[in-house]
Amino acid sequence: MDQNNSSASPFQGLSSPQGAMTPGMPIFSPMMPYGSGLTPQPVVANSLSILEEQQRQQQQQQAQQANAGLPGTSSGLTPQLYHSQTVAGSTTTALPGNTPLYNTPLTPMTPVTPSTPASESSGIVPQLQNIVSTVNLGCKLDLKTIALRARNAEYNPKRFAAVIMRIREPRTTALIFSSGKMVCTGAKSEEQSRLAARKYARVVQKLGFPAKFLDFKIQNMVGSCDVKFPIRLEGLVLTHQQFSSYEPELFPGLIYRMIKPRIVLLIFVSGKVVLTGAKVRGEIYEAFENIYPILKGFRKTT
Amino acid sequence: MSASVTRCPGCGSSNIVDDDLYCQAQRVCVDCGSVVSEGVLTDDWTGDTEISYSRTTAVARKPCLNLIKGLQRVKAICRILRVNNEIENHSQAYYTQAYQHEAFIRVSLQKKEVLAGCCVLVSCRLLNWPVTMGTISCLLDADPVVVGAVYQEMIKILNIKAPVFIINDVMEAHSQEYKISSLHVPEELAENSRDLTKRAVALVELAADTWIVTGRHPTPIMMASIYLSWQSLKPNKHRLKLTLDKFCQMAKVNKLKPAMKRIAEMKEVLCKLGREIPWVREAVTPDNVMQQVEDILNYRFALLRRALRTHEETLQAESEASGEDSLPEEAASSQVAEHGEQNSNAPTAEEYELNAESAQRPRDGNDDPHTEPEGNTGGGESQAPAPNWGKRVLFAPPCVVHPKRRRVERPECKDVTGDEDISDSEIDSYIRTPREAREFAQTQKMLSESEKT
Repeated sequence: MDQNNSSASPFQGLSSPQGAMTPGMPIFSPMMPYGSGLTPQPVVANSLSILEEQQRQQQQQQAQQANAGLPGTSSGLTPQLYHSQTVAGSTTTALPGNTPLYNTPLTPMTPVTPSTPASESSGIVPQLQNIVSTVNLGCKLDLKTIALRARNAEYNPKRFAAVIMRIREPRTTALIFSSGKMVCTGAKSEEQSRLAARKYARVVQKLGFPAKFLDFKIQNMVGSCDVKFPIRLEGLVLTHQQFSSYEPELFPGLIYRMIKPRIVLLIFVSGKVVLTGAKVRGEIYEAFENIYPILKGFRKTT
Repeated sequence: MSASVTRCPGCGSSNIVDDDLYCQAQRVCVDCGSVVSEGVLTDDWTGDTEISYSRTTAVARKPCLNLIKGLQRVKAICRILRVNNEIENHSQAYYTQAYQHEAFIRVSLQKKEVLAGCCVLVSCRLLNWPVTMGTISCLLDADPVVVGAVYQEMIKILNIKAPVFIINDVMEAHSQEYKISSLHVPEELAENSRDLTKRAVALVELAADTWIVTGRHPTPIMMASIYLSWQSLKPNKHRLKLTLDKFCQMAKVNKLKPAMKRIAEMKEVLCKLGREIPWVREAVTPDNVMQQVEDILNYRFALLRRALRTHEETLQAESEASGEDSLPEEAASSQVAEHGEQNSNAPTAEEYELNAESAQRPRDGNDDPHTEPEGNTGGGESQAPAPNWGKRVLFAPPCVVHPKRRRVERPECKDVTGDEDISDSEIDSYIRTPREAREFAQTQKMLSESEKT
């Protein structure tokens, strides 16, 4: 049931039997396209070996995270792609400790770091602050019942037509609509967002609804960072007029709409930059690597 | 129906024509208009041919009344602001264009009025006539946020690339509002508007160089600079004692709260520069800086250079004293590039003047304007828990020097895979016990009943 959040997965509709929402056997099909961020894994027939494999993969993953890391990341948070799902493992039977040949969660499939040499990279990694995702629980819901029987829910139909539910770990908020669709906000990483969405779905399930977990998709990612030098916004808007909008009477920051990748950046005089509008983490990193030379070079020429 | 009837039974004339109006063939007498004979009404739709009702009975199509009123409002706003004809024509053209766009054709009349103001605003900006958004909001008596939103939508739709607002341009127009010429106030408090504006513009430029203006609302800065300029033109006790409140009352303008903070910030900058004046022996504090303002403004570029150099030296001395690596020349803080480059000649001339007026200071000569405006990059980062680079440079945006206290970030749950087990007990903690649910329902019922009664 628990699938990756790439929409290319043909297994979205597959739901595990009732009451078994634990991450069961991740079944991958050889049909999965390469380059979608997943490694095709062999379909494992034996249930016991699945558990073993999972354990091994988790160990491997931990080992990899300790060793490898992308260059230039300062905070120790390796910029992982879409999911840290157990992607490791070669197509042959995975032996413990065997470093897989390709497609570890740490190898970028899409250019997370730009192709410029390491000496030119900024050395600053934007931190993700908020992830907004949606999921379809696949059944109609009675919001009154949910609001009545859940502790962490609020429902005010006159104000808004959805139940607002919150959980403590990961600290997130969900909007649950009567159609069965749900929006999950507040997570700091894609995996946390997915975990949180699953928890909400579990709560709804426990309340007696036949909830599933369909079409999980990350809709928006927000990141922020600090370049640690002041920025002359008036100058930046003059040189990059076609992308920038700076109205100090309305908003203290400059709104920079980057075309590739399609990200909106809020640039402030203090040097803090907020990046939003990304669907994947790589877009935020790419956008920051694009804007950093502009900010730096601009600071030199004025 | 026979075509052979040639005489009208009503008036007897033989002037009978065939009329195919309204899907019914009729034979009509031209002289008296009576229908001589008519065919069967057709029941098939012949389409919108030239005999359609709306076309035959239409009068000349009138232009939209609200559009006309809107254009008149545009004209009125232009006349109030006393802009030239070109701006007026431009605004009217933009208004007509925007009004008929689908984004604005169906909005409320109030919003259409706001649109009129925005058209004037954008034309003023394009034709280099300084007007603030605040002025337009005031004229329209509308919420500035709404004005901003309409403005941004309008320039997106009409695809206009309007130049950015520059505070120096608006300064002069703004200072006209202050009624402190000798006609309005007693002589000793009066000030010539030209001198006032000139000094205020210099103060604003200095503020812009030292990061006070960027990102801030322009009007409080203008108010602060006019106040300080007025005080410094005759820095006697009377003027220095007059608060901003009283000054605004006297000048008959509305005081803006942020102006107080701007005054404090600008005074701080003036003090930092005042300390560098060679012939001032006593300590320069915010209380006595106003007397020095004239000199500071006259020699501001040179003083800026000196201040930055002194700061550099102080930092170097500090870092050497604490035994760290000496800083490379490049990393030394110098914001000179930002102001020095546009007036490359003046500072040197000013420097010579300054030096001529006082004893020579040891450091002199042309410093190549170094480019990095920030402070030491190496330095104390390893030591300080949260290195605030703003505190290490001489001039930094105030939001960096005095950062807002943020909520402490919780240690995040790292290394989440997204597919972990979810414990039942955790989920159960989010669900009410049946008893709780019953009690909750009862309470709700009681509350709603008590509300009804």
